[in-house]
Amino acid sequence: MSIEVQQGKRGLTDPDMVRAILAEIPDQPLDTQRKMNYFVKPRWRRLTEYEVLSCYAQPTPDWIPGGLDWGDWTQKFHGGRPSWGNETTELHATDWHKHRDPAKRWHAPYVKDKAEEWRYTDRFLLAYSAEGQVRSIDPVWRDEVLNDYLGAYCFNEYGLFNAHSSASRDCLGDTLRQSIAMIGFDKVDNAQMIQLERTFLAKLVPGFPESTDEPKREWTEGAIYKGARETVQDIWQATYDWNEILWACHMVYDPLFGQFVRREFFQRLSSYYGDTLTPFFINQMQLYFSQAKGITGDMFFECLGDDAEFGDYNRRMMRAWTDKWLPRTVQALQDFMGIFAKISKIAGVTDRAAVEAALGRVVDDWLTDFADRVSYKADPDTLIATVMKGYK
Amino acid sequence: MAISAATKAATDALAVNRAPTSVNAQEVHRWLQSFTWDFEKNRTKYPTKYKMANQTKEQFKLIAKEYARMESVKDERQFGSLQDVLTRLDAGNRVHPKWGETMKVASNFLEVGEYNAIAATGMLWDSATAPEQKNGYLAQVLDEIRHTHQCGYVNYYYSKHYHDPAGHNDARRTRTIGPLWKGMKRVFSDGFISGDAVECSINLQLVGEACFTNPLIVAITEWAAANGDEITPTVFLSIETDELRHMANGYQTVVSIANDEAASKYLNTDLNNAFWTQQKYFTPVLGMLFEYGSKFKVEPWVKTWNRWVYEDWGGIWIGRLGKYGVESPRSLRDAKKDAYWAHHDLFLLAYAMWPTGFFRLSLPSREEMDWFEENYPGWYDHYGKIYDEWRARGCEDPSSGFIPLMWFIENNHPIYIDRVSQVPFCPSLCKGASTLRVHEWNGKKHSFSDDWGERMWLTEPERYECQNMFEQYAGRELSEVIAELHGVRSDGKTLIAQPHTNKNGKLWSLDDLKKLNCVFKDPLQDL
Repeated sequence: MSIEVQQGKRGLTDPDMVRAILAEIPDQPLDTQRKMNYFVKPRWRRLTEYEVLSCYAQPTPDWIPGGLDWGDWTQKFHGGRPSWGNETTELHATDWHKHRDPAKRWHAPYVKDKAEEWRYTDRFLLAYSAEGQVRSIDPVWRDEVLNDYLGAYCFNEYGLFNAHSSASRDCLGDTLRQSIAMIGFDKVDNAQMIQLERTFLAKLVPGFPESTDEPKREWTEGAIYKGARETVQDIWQATYDWNEILWACHMVYDPLFGQFVRREFFQRLSSYYGDTLTPFFINQMQLYFSQAKGITGDMFFECLGDDAEFGDYNRRMMRAWTDKWLPRTVQALQDFMGIFAKISKIAGVTDRAAVEAALGRVVDDWLTDFADRVSYKADPDTLIATVMKGYK
Repeated sequence: MAISAATKAATDALAVNRAPTSVNAQEVHRWLQSFTWDFEKNRTKYPTKYKMANQTKEQFKLIAKEYARMESVKDERQFGSLQDVLTRLDAGNRVHPKWGETMKVASNFLEVGEYNAIAATGMLWDSATAPEQKNGYLAQVLDEIRHTHQCGYVNYYYSKHYHDPAGHNDARRTRTIGPLWKGMKRVFSDGFISGDAVECSINLQLVGEACFTNPLIVAITEWAAANGDEITPTVFLSIETDELRHMANGYQTVVSIANDEAASKYLNTDLNNAFWTQQKYFTPVLGMLFEYGSKFKVEPWVKTWNRWVYEDWGGIWIGRLGKYGVESPRSLRDAKKDAYWAHHDLFLLAYAMWPTGFFRLSLPSREEMDWFEENYPGWYDHYGKIYDEWRARGCEDPSSGFIPLMWFIENNHPIYIDRVSQVPFCPSLCKGASTLRVHEWNGKKHSFSDDWGERMWLTEPERYECQNMFEQYAGRELSEVIAELHGVRSDGKTLIAQPHTNKNGKLWSLDDLKKLNCVFKDPLQDL
């Protein structure tokens, strides 16, 4: 008899097929273990859905520490270089699969959060425009600071986004790979939100330029972002070690330069210049900063810094990388201080003392959240004094 | 403070019209091409022999937040179906056992491709110079993370609901044991991430996604639904909605190199190699999974293959790229021959080595044998007779003391592994086109089954220096290897793999296997 299925027949709904299927199913399950990936060591009390779906998805030969496979790569690069190799980073690990995102985000929760942020952004813009809030923004702040300098910061975020491309390719663990890709995605989202704000302003304010020409000129030729541009270019394209890229970006440059520019400049000052629009976007960027901090903190401190065998060595490397990237970051901040000469002075807000205090908050946070965790010694007063040389 | 002319204009405009205003994704996307800038050290860490253009566009025109919105909507539909109606219908346990076992292989192996595509598109994101092209690759990076989790979710779901969770619940650590794994790794892992960046795009997007995802992700949903599995269509069709973007990315990769005169020197060779590599594995494996891993047959694999691979991809899709100098692969005709018998050859070997799997295989029933003979005339005289002999010797019963691998040894039918594709073949028994050729290089013997792979190896042998399972396990006793690689169920002794899906049949244990004293041997040592 032919058992070919007629067009459209489905085994779950066709009575004859249902009978044939049920006749083959045992009365009792053949195994009692119903937890997928039951052999994964949970980070928290119970194995999470994030861990079940993410852990050990990566096929890895047995010399990449932490993986479960054994055997070699089946096709290599021209010349015989392996698909992934321990030599792509100076850091060592006994388990490259140990990392966990503290927020336990796999793809579905990640896009759910961001989709809601998009819906909320749309609702906010509709309300903001209908109320005419744009009328309150100081013209200089709007036409020079937001257009030129917030616009130029788009390129900072775009460059850092691109720095994650090779890191997402080269890293050695599965949970790491998805975390890095998500952080990179958030960075390009930041860049796009800046252009979105500029496009929005161009719709509301006749004559406000939507084009990226002027911001790009400021980024590539201007003095305010010179140090930033050179640092971003080096993180993006001149650094091969994927851990060094992530360390330079998320442990040194962004917590200092990025935090000062976003939180202490645009966020803090916006309201003083009648700008209630920019904080809406900066707050989203700050959320992403906070999430990236959780992820990279877990990677560098919990996994690599506290590795039972290589922890001391790794922390030494991290201090060496900080020695390399901190002076560039300080230079970027020093250059950025020139922006205060472009805006009207507000006592207690943009004067030297206020800016020093803002810088102090950023440096304090960095020392506590990053430098101290690898015993990196830095003098905050010297750092602040060096940066303030750029303040006019 | 003075009011600027612009502020006054804005105020005047508001007085006339206070309509709410927002910004849509396309209004942001049209600026993306300007997001990059030139600088001295600007270069990729993954260079390519091709020259990628700076102005290549991207068809889907997504920004990050819009991407998230679209994917989240699809997720809501998919997970809503799985967690609500399908769970209430007990759908996860109303799947024919043959198919339930097939999905242990299909979802786990697709997951490997999706996972490695994360890194592959990360490499392309690094290599591309056009920001829109980077943007397209970036969206794909996220898609591939999505698909990895979706494939994982199929196993997660089956682990909870299907009557035989073993294999669904632990494939990520047991998949490496058997003969199907290394070939999988070759096509869906290393082939996507190791090589010239554009060559990898050709492998991933132009062949893997534009060609083989059609049978692997689309056709499989018909087979699944026919066999009671509504889980797979729910998930896999949602995956396929993203594959369109990936095919478009592959198309744009070709567009980006189209104006490079040197491209024509390499493009068709790279395409031919990529196609042959992938068809060498997928043509037999997918046919085997569909036809031998189902109770209810949809249509002969050779017909599906012809429609999706030969006509749709080799003809229409590649035809669309003809204006850029792309030709249908020269190996397509040889592949078409493989589509008839290769999956039957592979099942013979896979069943012979059943203890090394992480799933249960079963011999074709009498009515299935009739179906095979009807659709592949001559099938019974070559394969059917062997299965009847194996069944008569009690291959399904642990007390028989017989596994079909012993039959191959007794009848002097050595099994080799093709060094390039990593696919096992038995030259003395196959009806497909495989023929044995052996080369010595670097102090080692290497076996090959066809001209195309042999030619690839002769050009760059250092790319394929990988131990196969016979070399890896040589001298080791079978049950010992399986125990070491966790191929047992939660009782610690019953094998995950079994040679039947009979609900009343006895299950084989490590002890049953140990009594046979099967020791791995590398057949190349005898040559």
